[in-house]
Amino acid sequence: MEEKKAKTQEIIETEIQMGTVHPAALEPYRVRFFVEDEIVKDAEVTIGVNHRGIERIMEGLPVEKANILTEKVCGICSNAHVWNSVRTAELGLGVEIPERALYIRVIMGELERLHSHFLYLAHGCEVLGHETFSMRIFYMRETIMDLLHMVGGNRVQYGCSIIGGVRPRCDLNEAKLAKLSESLDLVEKNLTEFADRFTRDTMVISRITGVGIIPQEQALKLAVSGPTLRATGVKRDLRTDMFEYDNFDFDIITQPDGDVKSNLLMRVLESFEAINILRQAIKNIPEGKVADRFWEMVDTDIIKSYIEVPRGTLYHSYAIEDGRVRGSIIRTPSMANIGAMQYASIGSHITDAQLCIVQCDPCFTCSDRVMEVYDYESHKQLDKSMLGSKILY
Amino acid sequence: MSYLTIVNSVLEVIILLLIALFVGVLIPGIERKYVHARIQQRIGPPVTSSGLWASIKFLYKENIKPNSPVPGLYKAMPILCFIVVFLVFIALLPLSYGFLAFASLIAIVGFLKVEEIAYVLMGSLSKSVMSAGLRFPDHVKGAERVNTLTSYIEDISSNRSLRMIAFGSFPLYLALFIPAAMCGSIFLGDIVSYQQVHGPFLFSLAGVLGTIVFFIGLMIMLNEYPFNIVKAKADVIEGPYMEFASKYRTFVYVTRGFMIFTLSCLYSVLFLGVAPGLLSLGFIVCIIVALIFVLFMGVFSAFSPVFTNRQFYPVVLVSSVIGVVGVILGLLI
Repeated sequence: MEEKKAKTQEIIETEIQMGTVHPAALEPYRVRFFVEDEIVKDAEVTIGVNHRGIERIMEGLPVEKANILTEKVCGICSNAHVWNSVRTAELGLGVEIPERALYIRVIMGELERLHSHFLYLAHGCEVLGHETFSMRIFYMRETIMDLLHMVGGNRVQYGCSIIGGVRPRCDLNEAKLAKLSESLDLVEKNLTEFADRFTRDTMVISRITGVGIIPQEQALKLAVSGPTLRATGVKRDLRTDMFEYDNFDFDIITQPDGDVKSNLLMRVLESFEAINILRQAIKNIPEGKVADRFWEMVDTDIIKSYIEVPRGTLYHSYAIEDGRVRGSIIRTPSMANIGAMQYASIGSHITDAQLCIVQCDPCFTCSDRVMEVYDYESHKQLDKSMLGSKILY
Repeated sequence: MSYLTIVNSVLEVIILLLIALFVGVLIPGIERKYVHARIQQRIGPPVTSSGLWASIKFLYKENIKPNSPVPGLYKAMPILCFIVVFLVFIALLPLSYGFLAFASLIAIVGFLKVEEIAYVLMGSLSKSVMSAGLRFPDHVKGAERVNTLTSYIEDISSNRSLRMIAFGSFPLYLALFIPAAMCGSIFLGDIVSYQQVHGPFLFSLAGVLGTIVFFIGLMIMLNEYPFNIVKAKADVIEGPYMEFASKYRTFVYVTRGFMIFTLSCLYSVLFLGVAPGLLSLGFIVCIIVALIFVLFMGVFSAFSPVFTNRQFYPVVLVSSVIGVVGVILGLLI
């Protein structure tokens, strides 16, 4: 009798590994492409080489210090992390935030969105091999970086939000508001010119149209987040649910196709919308104090906070016990988008494969959050109860 | 041939080679500083840093053993490429026109094919740490995947080089034969003499078509943006050159600049009827042609993304058709 054999996997010609170090990637990660005649048949993105254990370091730290630490999660959306971490504490403690502080947070958030989107566009053009467009965008981005430096005092780590508002040094006087307004005019002019040239460049358009398509159903199934989701036509933006944006009138930008072109144009159009929000903030910013210092520290259960950051939905949660952080969890949008990156690569030419990953705006260093804690002596995995907290999480 | 003539010829070749190498190593710097940087509104690197000082710097770097199954052969490839380009350069000099088999288009095509084959070998012999060679502790899926070959990214580069031999370099070779069709000879001496009597081929319709096709073919042959799929940064990084260090990388840099200059000389000979000779205006014309090519290459590369097969095949097809039209027009003259 003929022996029955289990069906083995279909023969795939070649496995090409890229990384963990690759010039097309801004950060270290490893990707395996399974290719047939240079067409990607399967892809596997693996992260984990950037893990710093920030949640573990936050464990037991005073809440204010822990908030500052979250800023180190990401160099691009550093403000978003400290904002959401502070917001988590504020939600738990029931702190009232002055209106002016909310406006300043929105201004910082939108400036950060602009610089993140510009970085994305520049990186996308770099991976496309179009150095001139890339340089042009970095040139525009410099204006935004100057504004962030003006408001936050630094180019990367601003330390703007504190529990109860924003730091007084981040307050905006008339001169700063005028500078903001003037610079935004320049950015808008440059961005309009760039968008015009970019969309009229037939060679660039032929490289990015129909490449790395993520269908809307697949994006929803993969729980894709942020602009990458909106580039598939889904009108979902968490800013519509955030109380900080209650006084602002803005559109949710979407694109129809979910390919590289849609993703790139998505960021361009969202940048215009960010400028629109910033203009409203500059015009309507109320007078008053920027921080409420009179709040009381109490113990809380697990508090959860979601905000919309440049790459998607950012989640922070922790409990407060004796003024210290317990059970901190941070979930960045790139973690949700990894599935989309793999999916987008499949079916594309291998030269486009990195572009398909880049179109989802990856930030793997931020996403390296999962950890297993082992006891040094016994080599046993520690469970949560061994972390010395009475909070159940 | 008298003893003095031989000595003079050798001296002429050496002096011309030195000038050609000097101009060649300046070419990348000129492209980056005065074309790319100007277009991109930035200062750019010093002219001498990209080609000249980089080549000298690498000479003094510690050499590492390349990660290759046949390191000796791999390391010999840049030297082979240099020799091939040198032979093409010698064939273009007026003193070689007496050696008919050597100073002919067939010989030049043969030399350039050797150079192309060297890319295939370099790609297949390089096994850098940038892909499969990098050990990665894979806890996620266990790394095992049955019935799969694991390949290095340079292997893709090698496959692409093979395809370049098959069809990518076709436009350049078609362009080479347009002058041959116009003057009815494949010998460089005849082509130059014909143009000295009848005027440069450039000023005819076939010559203009030939120039366009030659320029596209030149960019493909040099793996210049946007035709750099053999060493595209988005996937294969440096491709065949990945494992070259120290003096071997110097050879790579020098050979590249030398090749741009030599192909410019080839254009001068074929389409302008100007041969590069010492103490003649011909050599200055060759330098000017090289600079014009660099200027156009820089502009093209600054304004276009890397071509994948979707863009590359149509460009090769269209330029080959133009080349064929050029050859037919040349035959009809």
